[in-house]
Amino acid sequence: MNISWWCTALSEPWSWTFRAYPGVWLVVAALAGGYAVAVRSNRDVEGLSLRETGFFIAGLLVFWVASDWPLGTLGAGYLASAHMVQYVLYVLVAAPLLWLGTPEWLARRVLASTGVYRAGRSLRRFPLLMGAIFNVTLILSHTPIAVDTLRPTQFGSFAMDALWLLSGLALWAPIVGSITEFTQRSYPARMLYLFFTTGVVTILPASFLTFASLPLYRTYELAPRVFGLTAINDQQIAGLIMKLSAVPIIWPVLAGMMYRWATSERASA
Amino acid sequence: MNPFPRLLVICTLVLGAVLGACEGAVIPAVGQLEGVVLQTPAAKAVFTLTDTGGRPYDFSLETKGRLTFLYFGYTNCPDICPVHLAQLAEVFGQLPEVRRNSTVVFVTVDPERDTPEVIRSFLDAFSSDFVGLSGSPEEIEAAQRAAGVPPAVKEGGGEKYTIGHAGQVLVYAPDGLGYSVYPFGTRQSDWIHDLPILLERVES
Repeated sequence: MNISWWCTALSEPWSWTFRAYPGVWLVVAALAGGYAVAVRSNRDVEGLSLRETGFFIAGLLVFWVASDWPLGTLGAGYLASAHMVQYVLYVLVAAPLLWLGTPEWLARRVLASTGVYRAGRSLRRFPLLMGAIFNVTLILSHTPIAVDTLRPTQFGSFAMDALWLLSGLALWAPIVGSITEFTQRSYPARMLYLFFTTGVVTILPASFLTFASLPLYRTYELAPRVFGLTAINDQQIAGLIMKLSAVPIIWPVLAGMMYRWATSERASA
Repeated sequence: MNPFPRLLVICTLVLGAVLGACEGAVIPAVGQLEGVVLQTPAAKAVFTLTDTGGRPYDFSLETKGRLTFLYFGYTNCPDICPVHLAQLAEVFGQLPEVRRNSTVVFVTVDPERDTPEVIRSFLDAFSSDFVGLSGSPEEIEAAQRAAGVPPAVKEGGGEKYTIGHAGQVLVYAPDGLGYSVYPFGTRQSDWIHDLPILLERVES
Protein backbone atom coordinates (compact mmCIF):
# COMPACT_ATOMS: atom_id res chain seq x y z
CA MET A 1 0.00 0.00 0.00
CA ASN A 2 1.22 3.52 -0.79
CA ILE A 3 1.71 5.55 2.38
CA SER A 4 2.94 9.09 2.86
CA TRP A 5 2.42 11.75 5.52
CA TRP A 6 0.47 14.26 3.43
CA CYS A 7 -0.81 14.48 -0.14
CA THR A 8 1.78 15.73 -2.58
CA ALA A 9 2.38 15.98 -6.32
CA LEU A 10 3.22 12.60 -7.89
CA SER A 11 4.74 11.74 -11.24
CA GLU A 12 3.03 8.39 -11.70
CA PRO A 13 -0.26 8.11 -13.59
CA TRP A 14 -3.42 8.66 -11.61
CA SER A 15 -5.08 5.47 -10.41
CA TRP A 16 -7.97 4.70 -8.11
CA THR A 17 -5.65 2.61 -5.95
CA PHE A 18 -6.04 3.74 -2.37
CA ARG A 19 -3.22 5.81 -0.85
CA ALA A 20 -2.91 6.27 2.89
CA TYR A 21 -2.07 9.63 4.43
CA PRO A 22 -1.54 9.11 8.18
CA GLY A 23 -0.77 12.82 8.60
CA VAL A 24 -4.30 13.70 7.53
CA TRP A 25 -5.79 11.12 9.90
CA LEU A 26 -3.58 12.40 12.72
CA VAL A 27 -4.70 16.01 12.22
CA VAL A 28 -8.36 14.99 12.05
CA ALA A 29 -7.95 12.78 15.13
CA ALA A 30 -6.13 15.56 17.00
CA LEU A 31 -8.89 18.08 16.23
CA ALA A 32 -11.64 15.61 17.16
CA GLY A 33 -9.78 14.43 20.27
CA GLY A 34 -9.00 17.96 21.41
CA TYR A 35 -12.63 18.95 20.96
CA ALA A 36 -13.89 15.90 22.87
CA VAL A 37 -11.46 16.39 25.75
CA ALA A 38 -12.24 20.11 26.01
CA VAL A 39 -15.97 19.47 26.01
CA ARG A 40 -15.73 16.64 28.54
CA SER A 41 -13.58 18.67 30.91
CA ASN A 42 -16.05 21.57 30.76
CA ARG A 43 -19.28 19.61 30.90
CA ASP A 44 -20.07 20.80 34.43
CA VAL A 45 -19.42 24.44 33.59
CA GLU A 46 -21.17 24.97 30.31
CA GLY A 47 -23.24 22.82 28.06
CA LEU A 48 -22.74 21.94 24.45
CA SER A 49 -25.72 21.62 22.16
CA LEU A 50 -26.17 18.70 19.83
CA ARG A 51 -26.34 21.23 17.03
CA GLU A 52 -22.87 22.54 17.83
CA THR A 53 -21.42 19.05 18.00
CA GLY A 54 -23.06 18.24 14.67
CA PHE A 55 -21.60 21.31 13.02
CA PHE A 56 -18.14 20.55 14.33
CA ILE A 57 -18.26 16.94 13.17
CA ALA A 58 -19.55 18.04 9.75
CA GLY A 59 -16.75 20.62 9.47
CA LEU A 60 -14.19 18.03 10.42
CA LEU A 61 -15.58 15.55 7.89
CA VAL A 62 -15.43 18.14 5.12
CA PHE A 63 -11.83 18.94 6.09
CA TRP A 64 -11.04 15.22 6.00
CA VAL A 65 -12.66 14.66 2.60
CA ALA A 66 -10.83 17.67 1.14
CA SER A 67 -7.45 16.57 2.50
CA ASP A 68 -7.44 12.80 2.09
CA TRP A 69 -7.39 10.41 -0.87
CA PRO A 70 -8.75 10.71 -3.52
CA LEU A 71 -9.50 14.44 -3.61
CA GLY A 72 -6.34 15.39 -1.70
CA THR A 73 -4.18 13.34 -4.07
CA LEU A 74 -5.84 14.73 -7.18
CA GLY A 75 -5.64 18.29 -5.90
CA ALA A 76 -2.03 18.06 -4.77
CA GLY A 77 -0.59 16.90 -8.04
CA TYR A 78 -2.95 16.08 -10.86
CA LEU A 79 -5.74 18.56 -11.42
CA ALA A 80 -5.93 22.27 -10.82
CA SER A 81 -9.71 21.84 -10.72
CA ALA A 82 -9.45 19.34 -7.85
CA HIS A 83 -7.07 21.74 -6.10
CA MET A 84 -9.78 24.41 -6.40
CA VAL A 85 -12.50 22.10 -5.08
CA GLN A 86 -10.24 21.49 -2.07
CA TYR A 87 -9.82 25.22 -1.60
CA VAL A 88 -13.57 25.84 -1.73
CA LEU A 89 -14.26 23.02 0.72
CA TYR A 90 -11.68 24.30 3.22
CA VAL A 91 -12.58 27.95 3.00
CA LEU A 92 -16.28 28.06 2.28
CA VAL A 93 -17.56 24.86 3.88
CA ALA A 94 -15.27 23.42 6.56
CA ALA A 95 -14.29 26.76 8.11
CA PRO A 96 -17.81 28.09 8.83
CA LEU A 97 -18.96 24.68 10.03
CA LEU A 98 -16.04 24.48 12.45
CA TRP A 99 -16.89 27.96 13.76
CA LEU A 100 -20.55 27.05 14.17
CA GLY A 101 -19.53 23.95 16.08
CA THR A 102 -17.20 25.75 18.45
CA PRO A 103 -18.81 27.10 21.63
CA GLU A 104 -17.75 30.53 22.77
CA TRP A 105 -15.84 29.34 25.84
CA LEU A 106 -13.82 26.92 23.72
CA ALA A 107 -13.06 29.53 21.07
CA ARG A 108 -11.94 31.98 23.78
CA ARG A 109 -9.73 29.36 25.37
CA VAL A 110 -8.08 28.39 22.06
CA LEU A 111 -7.60 31.97 20.89
CA ALA A 112 -6.31 33.14 24.30
CA SER A 113 -3.76 30.34 24.41
CA THR A 114 -2.43 31.29 20.98
CA GLY A 115 -2.37 35.05 21.59
CA VAL A 116 -4.80 35.64 18.74
CA TYR A 117 -7.48 37.00 21.05
CA ARG A 118 -5.28 39.80 22.40
CA ALA A 119 -4.13 40.72 18.91
CA GLY A 120 -7.72 40.72 17.65
CA ARG A 121 -8.94 42.87 20.55
CA SER A 122 -6.32 45.49 19.89
CA LEU A 123 -7.50 45.91 16.33
CA ARG A 124 -10.27 48.36 15.75
CA ARG A 125 -11.13 47.18 12.31
CA PHE A 126 -11.13 43.47 12.89
CA PRO A 127 -13.38 42.50 9.95
CA LEU A 128 -11.26 44.52 7.54
CA LEU A 129 -8.18 42.69 8.73
CA MET A 130 -9.88 39.30 8.44
CA GLY A 131 -11.06 40.15 4.93
CA ALA A 132 -7.53 41.23 4.02
CA ILE A 133 -6.01 38.05 5.45
CA PHE A 134 -8.45 35.95 3.45
CA ASN A 135 -7.88 37.76 0.19
CA VAL A 136 -4.11 38.03 0.49
CA THR A 137 -3.96 34.30 1.19
CA LEU A 138 -6.27 33.67 -1.75
CA ILE A 139 -4.05 35.63 -4.13
CA LEU A 140 -0.67 34.48 -2.86
CA SER A 141 -1.55 30.81 -2.47
CA HIS A 142 -2.77 30.66 -6.07
CA THR A 143 0.28 32.22 -7.66
CA PRO A 144 2.18 29.75 -9.84
CA ILE A 145 5.31 30.14 -7.72
CA ALA A 146 3.45 29.24 -4.52
CA VAL A 147 1.64 26.26 -6.02
CA ASP A 148 4.71 24.94 -7.83
CA THR A 149 6.92 25.36 -4.77
CA LEU A 150 4.58 24.01 -2.12
CA ARG A 151 2.70 21.22 -3.88
CA PRO A 152 5.68 19.00 -4.73
CA THR A 153 6.61 18.52 -1.06
CA GLN A 154 4.55 16.99 1.70
CA PHE A 155 5.33 19.77 4.14
CA GLY A 156 4.60 22.44 1.54
CA SER A 157 1.33 20.80 0.63
CA PHE A 158 0.38 20.54 4.30
CA ALA A 159 1.31 24.20 4.82
CA MET A 160 -0.90 25.23 1.90
CA ASP A 161 -3.87 23.23 3.20
CA ALA A 162 -3.39 24.59 6.73
CA LEU A 163 -3.10 28.14 5.43
CA TRP A 164 -6.33 27.75 3.48
CA LEU A 165 -8.23 26.47 6.50
CA LEU A 166 -6.88 29.28 8.70
CA SER A 167 -7.75 31.89 6.09
CA GLY A 168 -11.24 30.40 5.94
CA LEU A 169 -11.57 30.67 9.72
CA ALA A 170 -10.41 34.29 9.46
CA LEU A 171 -12.98 34.98 6.73
CA TRP A 172 -15.90 33.62 8.74
CA ALA A 173 -14.87 34.96 12.17
CA PRO A 174 -16.85 38.20 11.77
CA ILE A 175 -19.89 36.30 10.48
CA VAL A 176 -20.30 33.05 12.42
CA GLY A 177 -17.36 33.26 14.82
CA SER A 178 -18.19 32.37 18.40
CA ILE A 179 -16.51 35.39 19.95
CA THR A 180 -19.03 38.19 20.05
CA GLU A 181 -16.47 41.01 20.17
CA PHE A 182 -15.15 39.90 16.81
CA THR A 183 -18.42 39.42 15.00
CA GLN A 184 -20.27 42.01 13.00
CA ARG A 185 -23.42 42.98 14.87
CA SER A 186 -25.66 44.27 12.11
CA TYR A 187 -26.92 42.15 9.26
CA PRO A 188 -26.23 44.78 6.56
CA ALA A 189 -22.61 45.01 7.73
CA ARG A 190 -22.30 41.23 7.66
CA MET A 191 -23.76 41.00 4.20
CA LEU A 192 -21.53 43.73 2.84
CA TYR A 193 -18.49 42.14 4.45
CA LEU A 194 -19.25 38.71 3.02
CA PHE A 195 -20.10 40.05 -0.42
CA PHE A 196 -16.96 42.15 -0.74
CA THR A 197 -14.51 39.71 0.81
CA THR A 198 -15.60 36.72 -1.23
CA GLY A 199 -16.95 38.26 -4.40
CA VAL A 200 -14.58 40.98 -5.53
CA VAL A 201 -10.90 40.03 -5.26
CA THR A 202 -11.68 36.43 -6.21
CA ILE A 203 -12.54 37.57 -9.72
CA LEU A 204 -8.90 38.45 -10.37
CA PRO A 205 -7.22 35.02 -9.95
CA ALA A 206 -10.34 33.26 -11.23
CA SER A 207 -10.20 35.27 -14.45
CA PHE A 208 -6.51 34.61 -14.88
CA LEU A 209 -7.20 30.90 -14.63
CA THR A 210 -10.23 30.96 -16.89
CA PHE A 211 -8.87 33.15 -19.65
CA ALA A 212 -5.16 32.29 -19.73
CA SER A 213 -4.22 30.76 -23.06
CA LEU A 214 -1.52 28.58 -21.48
CA PRO A 215 -1.36 26.50 -18.32
CA LEU A 216 -0.11 28.60 -15.41
CA TYR A 217 0.92 25.88 -12.99
CA ARG A 218 3.88 23.71 -13.85
CA THR A 219 2.65 21.12 -11.31
CA TYR A 220 -0.59 20.41 -13.16
CA GLU A 221 0.72 21.04 -16.67
CA LEU A 222 3.42 18.40 -16.34
CA ALA A 223 1.29 15.92 -14.41
CA PRO A 224 -0.05 12.81 -16.09
CA ARG A 225 -3.40 13.73 -17.58
CA VAL A 226 -6.51 12.56 -15.75
CA PHE A 227 -10.02 11.85 -17.07
CA GLY A 228 -8.94 12.99 -20.56
CA LEU A 229 -8.73 16.62 -19.50
CA THR A 230 -6.15 18.81 -21.17
CA ALA A 231 -4.07 21.02 -18.90
CA ILE A 232 -5.75 24.16 -20.17
CA ASN A 233 -9.29 22.78 -19.84
CA ASP A 234 -8.54 21.67 -16.32
CA GLN A 235 -7.27 25.14 -15.51
CA GLN A 236 -10.37 26.75 -16.99
CA ILE A 237 -12.58 24.51 -14.87
CA ALA A 238 -10.51 25.53 -11.83
CA GLY A 239 -11.12 29.19 -12.66
CA LEU A 240 -14.85 28.60 -13.02
CA ILE A 241 -14.99 26.73 -9.72
CA MET A 242 -13.24 29.62 -8.02
CA LYS A 243 -15.52 32.16 -9.65
CA LEU A 244 -18.83 30.32 -9.30
CA SER A 245 -18.39 28.60 -5.96
CA ALA A 246 -19.85 31.64 -4.24
CA VAL A 247 -23.17 31.08 -6.00
CA PRO A 248 -24.30 27.92 -4.19
CA ILE A 249 -22.56 28.80 -0.91
CA ILE A 250 -22.31 32.54 -0.31
CA TRP A 251 -25.55 33.62 -1.95
CA PRO A 252 -27.78 31.34 0.15
CA VAL A 253 -25.96 32.64 3.25
CA LEU A 254 -26.59 36.21 2.11
CA ALA A 255 -30.22 35.37 1.43
CA GLY A 256 -30.54 33.83 4.90
CA MET A 257 -29.06 36.95 6.47
CA MET A 258 -31.40 39.13 4.48
CA TYR A 259 -34.35 37.09 5.72
CA ARG A 260 -33.19 37.31 9.33
CA TRP A 261 -32.60 41.02 9.00
CA ALA A 262 -36.09 41.53 7.61
CA THR A 263 -37.56 39.38 10.39
CA SER A 264 -35.71 41.28 13.11
CA GLU A 265 -36.72 44.62 11.61
CA ARG A 266 -40.33 43.53 11.49
CA ALA A 267 -40.18 42.33 15.08
CA SER A 268 -38.69 45.59 16.33
CA ALA A 269 -41.16 47.71 14.35
CA MET B 1 37.87 55.69 -64.31
CA ASN B 2 34.62 54.02 -65.16
CA PRO B 3 32.32 54.58 -62.16
CA PHE B 4 30.16 51.54 -63.00
CA PRO B 5 32.15 48.84 -61.13
CA ARG B 6 32.22 51.02 -57.97
CA LEU B 7 28.47 51.58 -58.21
CA LEU B 8 27.92 47.87 -58.68
CA VAL B 9 29.94 47.11 -55.56
CA ILE B 10 28.02 49.68 -53.52
CA CYS B 11 24.67 48.37 -54.77
CA THR B 12 25.68 44.81 -53.99
CA LEU B 13 26.78 45.77 -50.47
CA VAL B 14 23.55 47.69 -49.81
CA LEU B 15 21.44 44.86 -51.18
CA GLY B 16 23.38 42.36 -49.09
CA ALA B 17 22.89 44.45 -45.96
CA VAL B 18 19.15 44.81 -46.62
CA LEU B 19 18.71 41.11 -47.30
CA GLY B 20 20.77 40.25 -44.25
CA ALA B 21 18.63 42.52 -42.10
CA CYS B 22 15.46 41.01 -43.58
CA GLU B 23 16.67 37.49 -42.91
CA GLY B 24 17.47 38.42 -39.34
CA ALA B 25 14.01 39.85 -38.89
CA VAL B 26 12.15 36.90 -40.41
CA ILE B 27 14.17 34.11 -38.84
CA PRO B 28 15.11 34.78 -35.26
CA ALA B 29 18.37 33.27 -34.10
CA VAL B 30 18.16 29.76 -32.72
CA GLY B 31 20.03 31.07 -29.71
CA GLN B 32 16.71 32.58 -28.63
CA LEU B 33 15.11 29.17 -28.29
CA GLU B 34 13.74 28.04 -24.94
CA GLY B 35 14.76 24.42 -25.56
CA VAL B 36 18.23 23.08 -24.90
CA VAL B 37 20.15 24.54 -27.82
CA LEU B 38 22.73 22.26 -29.40
CA GLN B 39 26.19 23.72 -29.89
CA THR B 40 26.32 22.23 -33.35
CA PRO B 41 23.07 21.61 -35.22
CA ALA B 42 22.45 17.89 -35.58
CA ALA B 43 21.71 16.31 -38.92
CA LYS B 44 18.43 14.46 -39.12
CA ALA B 45 18.69 10.83 -38.10
CA VAL B 46 18.59 8.34 -40.93
CA PHE B 47 16.79 5.06 -40.26
CA THR B 48 13.93 2.99 -41.53
CA LEU B 49 11.44 1.26 -39.25
CA THR B 50 7.91 -0.06 -39.64
CA ASP B 51 4.83 2.08 -39.05
CA THR B 52 1.64 0.94 -37.36
CA GLY B 53 0.16 0.05 -40.74
CA GLY B 54 2.99 -2.41 -41.35
CA ARG B 55 4.68 -0.28 -44.01
CA PRO B 56 8.36 0.64 -44.02
CA TYR B 57 8.90 4.20 -42.87
CA ASP B 58 12.07 5.96 -43.99
CA PHE B 59 12.26 8.61 -41.28
CA SER B 60 14.51 11.02 -43.10
CA LEU B 61 12.64 10.78 -46.37
CA GLU B 62 9.08 10.79 -45.00
CA THR B 63 9.69 13.86 -42.87
CA LYS B 64 11.71 15.83 -45.41
CA GLY B 65 10.86 19.54 -45.39
CA ARG B 66 8.66 19.24 -42.29
CA LEU B 67 9.09 20.29 -38.71
CA THR B 68 9.75 16.89 -37.18
CA PHE B 69 9.49 15.64 -33.63
CA LEU B 70 11.25 12.40 -32.80
CA TYR B 71 10.64 10.70 -29.51
CA PHE B 72 11.74 7.31 -28.23
CA GLY B 73 9.38 5.94 -25.63
CA TYR B 74 6.97 3.12 -24.81
CA THR B 75 3.28 2.86 -24.24
CA ASN B 76 3.56 1.48 -20.69
CA CYS B 77 5.70 4.45 -19.69
CA PRO B 78 4.24 5.62 -16.39
CA ASP B 79 5.20 9.26 -16.57
CA ILE B 80 7.11 11.24 -19.15
CA CYS B 81 6.00 9.66 -22.46
CA PRO B 82 2.28 10.41 -22.13
CA VAL B 83 2.99 13.87 -20.74
CA HIS B 84 5.33 14.78 -23.62
CA LEU B 85 2.77 13.61 -26.20
CA ALA B 86 -0.11 15.34 -24.42
CA GLN B 87 1.89 18.56 -24.30
CA LEU B 88 2.60 18.38 -28.03
CA ALA B 89 -1.01 17.60 -28.89
CA GLU B 90 -2.22 20.50 -26.75
CA VAL B 91 0.34 22.90 -28.23
CA PHE B 92 -0.68 21.92 -31.75
CA GLY B 93 -4.22 22.89 -30.85
CA GLN B 94 -2.96 26.43 -30.42
CA LEU B 95 -0.64 26.49 -33.43
CA PRO B 96 -2.58 25.22 -36.46
CA GLU B 97 0.11 26.42 -38.88
CA VAL B 98 2.74 24.42 -37.00
CA ARG B 99 0.46 21.38 -36.82
CA ARG B 100 -0.11 21.42 -40.59
CA ASN B 101 3.61 21.41 -41.24
CA SER B 102 4.74 19.01 -38.55
CA THR B 103 5.19 15.30 -38.11
CA VAL B 104 5.44 13.68 -34.71
CA VAL B 105 7.21 10.34 -34.77
CA PHE B 106 7.04 8.05 -31.77
CA VAL B 107 9.45 5.12 -31.83
CA THR B 108 8.77 2.41 -29.32
CA VAL B 109 11.70 1.13 -27.30
CA ASP B 110 9.56 -1.76 -26.09
CA PRO B 111 8.76 -3.77 -29.24
CA GLU B 112 8.00 -6.80 -27.09
CA ARG B 113 4.82 -5.30 -25.63
CA ASP B 114 4.15 -2.49 -28.08
CA THR B 115 2.45 -4.18 -31.00
CA PRO B 116 1.35 -1.93 -33.88
CA GLU B 117 -2.22 -2.00 -32.52
CA VAL B 118 -1.09 -1.04 -29.03
CA ILE B 119 1.02 1.83 -30.37
CA ARG B 120 -1.79 3.08 -32.60
CA SER B 121 -4.32 3.03 -29.80
CA PHE B 122 -1.85 4.79 -27.46
CA LEU B 123 -1.07 7.53 -29.98
CA ASP B 124 -4.69 8.01 -31.00
CA ALA B 125 -5.41 9.14 -27.46
CA PHE B 126 -3.30 12.19 -28.29
CA SER B 127 -3.60 12.57 -32.04
CA SER B 128 -4.36 10.24 -34.90
CA ASP B 129 -1.74 12.19 -36.91
CA PHE B 130 1.12 11.01 -34.73
CA VAL B 131 3.24 8.37 -36.42
CA GLY B 132 4.17 5.24 -34.49
CA LEU B 133 7.17 3.15 -35.43
CA SER B 134 8.54 -0.18 -34.34
CA GLY B 135 11.07 -2.73 -35.46
CA SER B 136 13.36 -5.41 -34.18
CA PRO B 137 15.35 -4.58 -31.02
CA GLU B 138 18.45 -4.21 -33.17
CA GLU B 139 16.75 -1.83 -35.60
CA ILE B 140 15.39 0.27 -32.76
CA GLU B 141 18.79 0.43 -31.09
CA ALA B 142 20.33 1.50 -34.39
CA ALA B 143 17.67 4.20 -34.76
CA GLN B 144 18.48 5.55 -31.30
CA ARG B 145 22.17 5.63 -32.11
CA ALA B 146 21.42 7.37 -35.39
CA ALA B 147 19.48 10.00 -33.47
CA GLY B 148 22.33 10.43 -31.01
CA VAL B 149 20.48 9.22 -27.92
CA PRO B 150 21.61 6.42 -25.63
CA PRO B 151 19.86 3.11 -26.31
CA ALA B 152 17.01 2.29 -23.93
CA VAL B 153 17.64 -0.21 -21.15
CA LYS B 154 15.13 -2.67 -19.71
CA GLU B 155 14.77 -2.28 -15.94
CA GLY B 156 13.31 -4.97 -13.71
CA GLY B 157 11.84 -8.30 -14.62
CA GLY B 158 8.49 -9.95 -14.94
CA GLU B 159 5.61 -8.50 -16.89
CA LYS B 160 5.68 -5.09 -15.27
CA TYR B 161 9.19 -4.11 -16.23
CA THR B 162 10.02 -0.52 -17.02
CA ILE B 163 12.45 0.89 -19.54
CA GLY B 164 15.03 3.57 -19.00
CA HIS B 165 15.13 5.69 -22.12
CA ALA B 166 16.05 9.11 -23.44
CA GLY B 167 13.52 11.57 -22.12
CA GLN B 168 13.98 14.38 -24.58
CA VAL B 169 12.02 15.16 -27.72
CA LEU B 170 14.34 15.72 -30.67
CA VAL B 171 13.09 18.40 -33.01
CA TYR B 172 14.31 18.84 -36.56
CA ALA B 173 13.52 22.04 -38.42
CA PRO B 174 12.26 21.84 -42.03
CA ASP B 175 15.87 22.38 -43.16
CA GLY B 176 16.65 18.94 -41.76
CA LEU B 177 18.71 20.14 -38.83
CA GLY B 178 18.12 19.75 -35.11
CA TYR B 179 18.90 22.98 -33.32
CA SER B 180 17.53 22.11 -29.91
CA VAL B 181 16.12 19.28 -27.84
CA TYR B 182 13.29 19.37 -25.33
CA PRO B 183 13.69 17.46 -22.09
CA PHE B 184 10.86 16.50 -19.77
CA GLY B 185 9.68 19.62 -18.01
CA THR B 186 9.36 21.67 -21.19
CA ARG B 187 6.36 23.94 -20.71
CA GLN B 188 3.74 24.65 -23.35
CA SER B 189 4.90 28.25 -23.29
CA ASP B 190 8.38 27.06 -24.33
CA TRP B 191 6.98 25.04 -27.21
CA ILE B 192 4.79 27.89 -28.36
CA HIS B 193 7.77 30.20 -28.31
CA ASP B 194 10.12 27.89 -30.18
CA LEU B 195 8.05 26.10 -32.78
CA PRO B 196 7.24 29.07 -35.02
CA ILE B 197 10.95 29.97 -34.96
CA LEU B 198 11.96 26.46 -35.96
CA LEU B 199 9.28 26.26 -38.62
CA GLU B 200 10.91 29.22 -40.36
CA ARG B 201 14.17 27.33 -40.69
CA VAL B 202 13.62 26.09 -44.20
CA GLU B 203 16.19 24.62 -46.53
CA SER B 204 17.79 27.37 -48.59
